[in-house]
Amino acid sequence: MEVLQLLISGLSLGCVYGLIALGLVLIYKATETVNFAQGEVMMLGAFLAYTFVNVLGWPFALGFVATLAVMGVVGALLERVLMRPMLGEPPFAALMLTIGLGFVLRAIAGAAWGNEPHTLRTPFAGDVLRFGELVVGTENIAIVLGTAILCGGLYLFFRFARVGIALQAASQNQLAAFYVGIPVQRVFALVWALSAMVAATAGVLVAPVSLIDPLMGFIAIKAFAAAIVGGFGSLPGAIVGGLIVGVVEQFASRYLPPGFGDTSAYIILLVMLVARPEGIFATLQRKKV
Amino acid sequence: MRFVLKTRYGQDIDLFRHNGQRFWYALLLVALLAAPWVLGDFYVGEVSLVFIYAIAGIGLMLLVGYTGLVSLGHAAFLAIGAYAHAWLLNHGWPFPASLAAAAAFTATVGALVGIPALRMTGIYLAVATLAFAEIVEQVITRWESVTGGYRGMAVPPAELFSVSLLDVDVFYYVCLAVLVACLIAALNLLRSPSGRAMVAVRDSEVAAQSMGINLARTKTLAFAVSAGFTGIAGGLLAHKIGYLAPDAFTIVLSIQLLLMVVVGGLGSMHGVIYGAIFIGLLPQGIALVRDAAPPAVAQIPGLEPGIFGAILILFLIYEPLGIHGRWVKVRQFFTEFPLYRKATHRRQRSYLRTERVR
Amino acid sequence: MSFFAAEALSLSFGGVHAVRDVSFAVEEGEVFSIIGPNGAGKTTLFNLISRFYDPDAGAIKFGGEDITRLAAHRIAAKGIARTFQNTELFAHETVLANLLIGCHAHRRTHLLEELLFLPRARRQDLAFRERVEAVIDLLHLQGYREQTISALPYGARKMVEVARALCVAPTLLLLDEPSSGLNPEETEDLSFWIEDINEDLGVTIIMVEHDMNLVSQASHRVLAMADGEVLAVGEPAAIQSHPDVLRAYLGD
Repeated sequence: MEVLQLLISGLSLGCVYGLIALGLVLIYKATETVNFAQGEVMMLGAFLAYTFVNVLGWPFALGFVATLAVMGVVGALLERVLMRPMLGEPPFAALMLTIGLGFVLRAIAGAAWGNEPHTLRTPFAGDVLRFGELVVGTENIAIVLGTAILCGGLYLFFRFARVGIALQAASQNQLAAFYVGIPVQRVFALVWALSAMVAATAGVLVAPVSLIDPLMGFIAIKAFAAAIVGGFGSLPGAIVGGLIVGVVEQFASRYLPPGFGDTSAYIILLVMLVARPEGIFATLQRKKV
Repeated sequence: MRFVLKTRYGQDIDLFRHNGQRFWYALLLVALLAAPWVLGDFYVGEVSLVFIYAIAGIGLMLLVGYTGLVSLGHAAFLAIGAYAHAWLLNHGWPFPASLAAAAAFTATVGALVGIPALRMTGIYLAVATLAFAEIVEQVITRWESVTGGYRGMAVPPAELFSVSLLDVDVFYYVCLAVLVACLIAALNLLRSPSGRAMVAVRDSEVAAQSMGINLARTKTLAFAVSAGFTGIAGGLLAHKIGYLAPDAFTIVLSIQLLLMVVVGGLGSMHGVIYGAIFIGLLPQGIALVRDAAPPAVAQIPGLEPGIFGAILILFLIYEPLGIHGRWVKVRQFFTEFPLYRKATHRRQRSYLRTERVR
Repeated sequence: MSFFAAEALSLSFGGVHAVRDVSFAVEEGEVFSIIGPNGAGKTTLFNLISRFYDPDAGAIKFGGEDITRLAAHRIAAKGIARTFQNTELFAHETVLANLLIGCHAHRRTHLLEELLFLPRARRQDLAFRERVEAVIDLLHLQGYREQTISALPYGARKMVEVARALCVAPTLLLLDEPSSGLNPEETEDLSFWIEDINEDLGVTIIMVEHDMNLVSQASHRVLAMADGEVLAVGEPAAIQSHPDVLRAYLGD
């Protein structure tokens, strides 16, 4: 029974890692940049939802939609203002820039909402469901359901929208995609918007479990482990990777000596990089000479 | 502009191009040696800290600026150097031996981190070093018998030739001497085959291989040497802060170190020094701003890292070559006036340098 | 036994045969050209010889030694140097630094000597420099010595790459499309330099080349490839009129 309990909390935690990793992979696939500020973008989304729902008193659904809309704009703006000048620069520069961005966003959040933790009012938190001896928090169920719905939506989007195909092309060869008339820059802005919306969803889903404060974005470091386990180029891989990292973390904190719970994600990451750097869903190959 | 008539190949190998340079660097050294007589204790301490940053910066610059490998976890090497040094001092080792052993130990750890790094490029490596740093932080927190865990660990007072390092001026001279030695060693490395191999790996791995450069060896070496220098800086930093605790060596410090080499100017040892001065003085500058600003602004939590981040962004967008790059351009503008053309330093963009092939 | 020999080399990428059962031998002192339409597998062949790719089958013999499984960075020390189709220079460095890196295979110092720059390290660097200057003189690169690669015109970069390969002091030089991107005069110069390198330095040359004038001027023998397979080997004139070769280029 304990095992099942741990499995469920691990899966719901893993969904959060998976969603953050999904945002990372979206941006990486299209632009070959890794957004080290993904966790901070998530944090911003959670704070926005808090502002709409708790401070302004809007109904949850409206607040959530508004959060998505605002975060989409924020994501596109970040791409337009910060990332576009880095187009064609070495990947290292863009990576450093997103690190700087993370620090700036944290300071902005601290200035706007203060450092003390906040609780988001949601319709799905605080209750438990009992299945025999098994006790499951409704917020955990909400996380898993929310993730499933989001993934389904994204799948349909990439499968059927023209933009999805443009994105595929841009990610394979920026210059060639540009030459055949794909608006590469607009595609990138769109990807950033999409990724910010995914991150905001993660933020809202995780808010009842971990409180909202400027430092909540640090869990994104664990999402890197998820993305790498999944192969860093595969969207389903990111979710699967997140689930693996989440479940392992729950079991490690329960059964291993203290310290292993917190580091399990990093250990998985390093082991994965040494043993199978292409991830479980291999999409990367050697550079061509 | 100065034209040097070269009559021997050895002139290109020498560290100084001509006697003018020798004169100015000697003058700088004299000024630094005289500084403790002029400056108050507080500022002598601050300049020592700049020296320590610069030593760590040399290590990070060799890795990031010359070998092209990004590390987001250099604070961990700083921590390993600091803890190893303090532990050895506690066990009765004399200062020089302890510092050297701490550096060697850190270099060994660096080489071990470098080995898995061989199979990764770019972002993978950055993420791996980040994970490594997190693990080191946990190990330091949990390994109480050695590190003191959360409670921390006092750094014992050390002596060099029976002079106490607690004396601010003595510590200043020690830091200066170590910095000069490290700088010379790094410059020597860069004019030797191993250093050139690092640059070759940075610019083209395939060409480097076909010139007979062993990628694995070069990358491991870069990590080891980089960690070694950073370990020395860690040992000195231990004396400077006096009491070691895990929260002194977080990711924020790693980013601060990266900020130093980027702002200073990647790919130049001058850049290390400029960068060290910059991040050494920045907290003072921020403190001034805080005093002047209205309380609402001054009390923002995380203001300092936020300003670090903003500066990093501005430099990356507007002056990716850092302070050193800016200085080179300004100097060239005056020496070539009125012939200077902006396009001389126009950056070449590359849109296709993808690391993946499907 | 031949100076250099490829024996039944095969390599496929995911079912596509890039190189299939390719055998040829090169004698010492020869200039040996490989021609063929795009996608014939010429560069793949070079990457097999430089050991960037592992062949699925076959062997590479050089100077009586089997180098099929040697690590890529050990090839230079054996005396094989190469250039790249689209130049792979160390772009942020000067020409001089690039050529000094070319001497790397002759490094004898160890790390400690280099950190302290002991007399042996200085002597070694002086020796490297003499070698570099000899190559600079041979290819008339004096004017570019102190310039950064990114400031050089493309033609000069191609020549710097040849120079860097010569700094390895090779006995076998692989040139991957040396004339691509050069203007007619530069190509003309190139053919003389190939002759100099071959006759004065005694370096055996294998080159992949599209310019048939250069091929027939400079090379002793030519190998024609198409779709990863050898069509014919022989004198330049004979290859140019070989029916299979004409068919591969012009279609049926």
